Amino acid sequence: MTTAVLGRSAAARGSRRGLIQASPSLVRALPTTALLAATAVLLTVDVLPVADGELVGAGLALGFLATGVARLVDRTSATGEGALVVPVLAQFGAIALISAGSLAPSVLFLLLGPVLSLTLTPRRRGVVVAVLGTAAVLLLPGLLHSDAVVPFDLPLALFLGPLSVGLVTLAGQDAARRSSSQTAELEVLRRERSALEAQVRSRADELDVATRMLAARAQTMTSVIDAVTEQSIIGTDTDGVIRVWNPGAEKMLGLPRADVVRTRSIVEFHDPAELGTAAEEAGTPTGMAALVAAAQENGSDVRDWTYVGSDGRQRTVSVAITPRADDQGAHAGWNFVGTDMTEVRATERMKDQFVSLISHELRTPLSSILGYLELVLDDEEQTLTEEQRAFLGTVERNAHRLQRLVGDLLFTAQVEAGRFTLQPEDVDLAGVVRAAEETARVGAAAGGVLIDLDVPEDGLVVPGDAVRLGQACDNLVSNAVKFTPSGGKVTLALRPAWWLPDGSVVDAEHAGAEPVVQLTVSDTGVGIPAGEQGKLFTRFFRASTAQRNAVPGVGLGLTITKAITTAHGGTLDVHSVEGEGTTFTLTLPTTTS
Amino acid sequence: MDDGSVAAPVRVLVADDEDDIRGLVCLAVRQAGAAQVTAVADGTAALDAARLHLPDLAVLDASIPGGTGLEVCSALRADPATAGIAILLLSAGADAYLAKPFSVAGLVAQIRSLTGLEGRAVGQSA
Repeated sequence: MTTAVLGRSAAARGSRRGLIQASPSLVRALPTTALLAATAVLLTVDVLPVADGELVGAGLALGFLATGVARLVDRTSATGEGALVVPVLAQFGAIALISAGSLAPSVLFLLLGPVLSLTLTPRRRGVVVAVLGTAAVLLLPGLLHSDAVVPFDLPLALFLGPLSVGLVTLAGQDAARRSSSQTAELEVLRRERSALEAQVRSRADELDVATRMLAARAQTMTSVIDAVTEQSIIGTDTDGVIRVWNPGAEKMLGLPRADVVRTRSIVEFHDPAELGTAAEEAGTPTGMAALVAAAQENGSDVRDWTYVGSDGRQRTVSVAITPRADDQGAHAGWNFVGTDMTEVRATERMKDQFVSLISHELRTPLSSILGYLELVLDDEEQTLTEEQRAFLGTVERNAHRLQRLVGDLLFTAQVEAGRFTLQPEDVDLAGVVRAAEETARVGAAAGGVLIDLDVPEDGLVVPGDAVRLGQACDNLVSNAVKFTPSGGKVTLALRPAWWLPDGSVVDAEHAGAEPVVQLTVSDTGVGIPAGEQGKLFTRFFRASTAQRNAVPGVGLGLTITKAITTAHGGTLDVHSVEGEGTTFTLTLPTTTS
Repeated sequence: MDDGSVAAPVRVLVADDEDDIRGLVCLAVRQAGAAQVTAVADGTAALDAARLHLPDLAVLDASIPGGTGLEVCSALRADPATAGIAILLLSAGADAYLAKPFSVAGLVAQIRSLTGLEGRAVGQSA
């Protein structure tokens, strides 16, 4: 502890730090060594009397030896009380010997040396050593020279000497302790200050780095925004006054940045009639309020708006509107990122027109064919021969097949165009599956395929479109039958289950799980190669096994089934091993999401 | 059934631009038991005929030229003189009232239900 305190106070003195920290015992022995050296000189030049040269020599030798021991103690980095006390005891011995050899009272001043170093030792032991050492120094001349005249009143000296030395040691220890604790406090303060300074410096460095990063980021952002030439990026303040205008906006609206920034409002580039309608719908005043009404309510908004360019040309633009915040997080304005959809929307309109044209042009002749066939087949006045009836039955069957194909094509087109709507009601899925089995039964029996039905008596009700769900089940069942060779089996199993948040399905009710109904359609058919299963739900995709086995179809059934499932919030999964069979699992939530 | 025998002969207007379909619908209308059938090929003619003959039922194709079936439908509904005419819309689109292709038997049943011919024996009033 003493060493530590000494070390710390020494450290405060700077340049001597290394020596002192390395040699506390040596440093403590130094005052005595210096005093001994001075005494040696005074003895040599006869200022101090020499009564016994041998004793003086032995004393000086012991004194310098003590310094050597102190150095040795430091070298070996020995610790403990002995290491601290041994050199001091040797010094007392040395002084006693010199005092006995010189008999001069002034030699007693040498006691100041060890006493000084003892002020740096723990209290009681230091005082005891000082008192005993002083007594020894005072007693030794008398002991060695019983005949000699002791130059002072021994009993008085033996009382006053150790007492005063003890008190001085105590006071010195106190002073040293106070000073060292002050030094320690100073040191703590100094360290705190330098820590603070370091912190300030590192903050300044961080700030510098952050500033440069911000500048770099701003530069990157600007260059990115400037590189966008096919999308308009327009930033405004809260009133709609334009602040950011990228090259995409220049190209789309025909005005350079300098002509619009801070001088024009984004509202000026919108179709006023359209803004008026939007204002009516949103219940806001027309203009900026109408433009950002939906974004204000939902946090962001993407929809088609009509931009009017400087040449008066109108463009249909899909605009993403988001609020912009300043560095304090306060609302500072709006961002408008627009993509020109004029051509895309025109193409979509053409596609829609094409779909409705096809729907009319294909369905009308089919209506005629099926209608007149029905009239002929049902004519009770002119009955047909069995052969004629069979031929016309083939015509009717194929007309129906064509009708289904047209229906599938139209449905896929509607799904693609996002114009596919459900007529939701409560649907008993058990009934739907039984109906699908009935529809497929005759064809399956003809092909030598057995259909095994595992459907609970109690209806399993899901919210959905009965016609579409029926279509989905029909597709799965007819596929299974189609791809299963004679002698095979198709199993339809319907069961309630629970859907865990991680997407897995369990049989038992589970906390946090969503109730679902699961339909599995398993067959013992040709299977689907593993590499092709990912493409299974793609339009017009046909598995190689389907083509090899010449199974008829165009590759729309699963696309449609998947679309219907997804629209109902469900999933459609496939598990298949080529040559062994395929299982489709249809999972539908029983609650509306 | 008893009021069927004393009811006035049922008159039906058929509007479809497709000759074959128009013929088929006319056959179905006759089979349903209508006494008089007027057939036209476009919307304008359909409106004129409806105002002239005031039929009990108009069977309109949804996509006829000269005003679609829906437009003819709303024009008939808007005019107090023709507002009472029952309307059966045939559509090849997705949102059909009676979707094409339709079965003749289904069409006959619809016509009979819309014209109050349900109770009468087929062909009697022809």
